Amino acid sequence: MAPVRAAASHLGARDLAIAYTVHGRRQTVLQDVGLDIARGAFVSLIGASGCGKSTLLKVFAGLIQPTAGTVAVAGVSPQEAVRKRLVGLVFQDANLLPWKTALGNAAFLLEIADKSLGRKAARERAAEMLDLVGLRGAADKLPRQLSGGMQQRVAIARALTLDPEILLMDEPFGALDAITREEMSHSLLEIWERTKKTIVLVTHSINEAVLLSTEVHVMGLRPARIVETLKVELPWPRGADSFRDPRFGALEAQLRALLLESHGHRRSPS
Amino acid sequence: MSIAPSGGEWTDVGPQGSLARTGLWFRRSVPTLALTVFALVAWELVIRIGHVSTYIVPAPTAIAHSLAANANDLWQAALVTAREVFLGFALSLVVGVALALVIVRFRWFGRAVYPLIVLFQTVPKVALAPIFILWFGYDLAPKVLLILVIAFFPITLNMLAGLEAVERGFVALMHSVGASENEILFRVRVPHALPQLMAGVKIAITFCVIGAIVGEFAGASAGLGYVIQFASTQLETPLVFAALVVVSLVGVGFYYVSELLERFIVPWAPEFDGTDRT
Repeated sequence: MAPVRAAASHLGARDLAIAYTVHGRRQTVLQDVGLDIARGAFVSLIGASGCGKSTLLKVFAGLIQPTAGTVAVAGVSPQEAVRKRLVGLVFQDANLLPWKTALGNAAFLLEIADKSLGRKAARERAAEMLDLVGLRGAADKLPRQLSGGMQQRVAIARALTLDPEILLMDEPFGALDAITREEMSHSLLEIWERTKKTIVLVTHSINEAVLLSTEVHVMGLRPARIVETLKVELPWPRGADSFRDPRFGALEAQLRALLLESHGHRRSPS
Repeated sequence: MSIAPSGGEWTDVGPQGSLARTGLWFRRSVPTLALTVFALVAWELVIRIGHVSTYIVPAPTAIAHSLAANANDLWQAALVTAREVFLGFALSLVVGVALALVIVRFRWFGRAVYPLIVLFQTVPKVALAPIFILWFGYDLAPKVLLILVIAFFPITLNMLAGLEAVERGFVALMHSVGASENEILFRVRVPHALPQLMAGVKIAITFCVIGAIVGEFAGASAGLGYVIQFASTQLETPLVFAALVVVSLVGVGFYYVSELLERFIVPWAPEFDGTDRT
C-alpha cells in the first residue's frame, strides 16, 4: 500500500473506486476519489442523494472494502484503525438500545470493545461524555423518554466514549427538525473545539456544511467523485454571528451553484 | 460553559400512572360487561320462550347449575388440562426459541431447515393426535407433544422476526468495535427480540389450550376435553357448556399470566391493549 502522506493527513484516499455487480451489471458507486483530511479538521462531504458520500464514509469506517485504490486512516488501514478504536461512528438513526438507559447506551460499545476495562469504568467515562453533550440529567432515561435530538446526543456521547481520534458522522441531524438541528450544530462545534477530534460529516445541508467545516468537499454524480473542495475561512469561534458574515453567504452561493451543476450533469445525456 | 439543549424539559412519553390506568381499564370494561349481560339475558329468554330442549341448547342458568353441581370434577379436570397446557407451552417456548436462535446464528442451517418448518406447518396438526396417542399412550406425553407441534411455530416465527429486526446501523456499530457474532446475537438481537417473542407467546398460549383439548379428544381418561366428550355422549349438554366455560377461563388465565410476564420481561416495550392510547 502506498503511503498517503501519513504525517500531514489523518484520513486519506487515493484513486479510490467502489463498484458493485448488481444483477450481472457492473455499477460504479465511487471513482477516482482522492482526499486528504488533516488532523483536527472538520470536513463536510456534501452532494446529491445517491452520490456515494455515505459509501465513502463507510470505507473510512472499514465497513466497505474499496474495489481499487488505497485508503489510510491515521496511517493504517481502516480495519486496523477500527481495531485500535481510532474511529467513532454516528448515523442518522441514533440506533439506541430501547432497554438500556442513556448511560447504558453511551457505555455499551466501550463495554464490548474493551472487556478488560470493566463495566464501572466504562460507565464513568460514558457519564463524562453525557455531560459533554449536555445530557447530565438524562443518564437514567430510557430512549423512548428522550426527544429525537437527545437520542442523537446519546449516540454522539456513545461514539465519544470510545475516545476515537476520528468521528465519522453520516447525516447525524438529518432526522431532526430545523431548530433542534441548529442547536445540535452549535453543540457539535463546541464538542469539536474541546475534544480536538477530526470530524468527517456527511450532510445535505449547505448551511450546516459552511457553518461547521474547515473544508467542504462537493461530490458529483456519474462518475461519483469529488468535484470541488472549498476551504471555509470564516473566523472562529463560529455561531449565530457567522451567518451575518458576508463570506458566509458567498460560500453558500458557491456551494449551491456547484451542487446545481452536479445535478445538471446527471440530467444531460452525456 | 455547558452545551445543554435550550428546552430543559425531558420529553417523557412513558406509561401513565397505574392508578389512572386502573380507572381507565374499568371504564373501558363497562361496554364489554354490559354486552355480556345483555347477551346472557337474551339467550335465557330465547330458550325459555321458545321451549328449547336443554339437551340441544341449555339456558345460562342450566349451565350455571351444572357448573355448581360438578364444581369438584370440573376443577380436577381443569388441573389436568392446565398441567398439559403449562408443560406443552414450556416445551414449545424452549424449542421455538432455540430453533430461532440456531436459524439466525447458523445461516446455512436456517436455509436448510426453514422451508421444512414451513412445510410442516401446513400439515393439519389435529390429524396427528391419533398417531401421537398410538405412539405415546393415553397419558401426558401425547398431549404435550401435540401442543408442541401446534404452538412452537408462532414462537419461532416471532422470535425470528424480532432477531432480524435489529437495525443494520446498529450491527455496523457492533462490527466497528470488533464485536463477535455471539455478542451481537446475545447482547443485541435477543433482548431486541423479546417484545416480539412475547407477542408470539400470547398467540401460542391460546394454541396450547386448543392442543390440549384436541389431544384429550383423541384419547384421554381425564381433563376438560375428556369431560366434554364424555358429557356429550351422555347428552349432558349443560355439562358440555360448563366445561367449555372452564376451558375458556383456563385460556384467559394463561393469556393474562403471559401479559403480566411481558410487563416484567419487557418493561420498555410499547403496550398494546386493543385500543389507541391517544
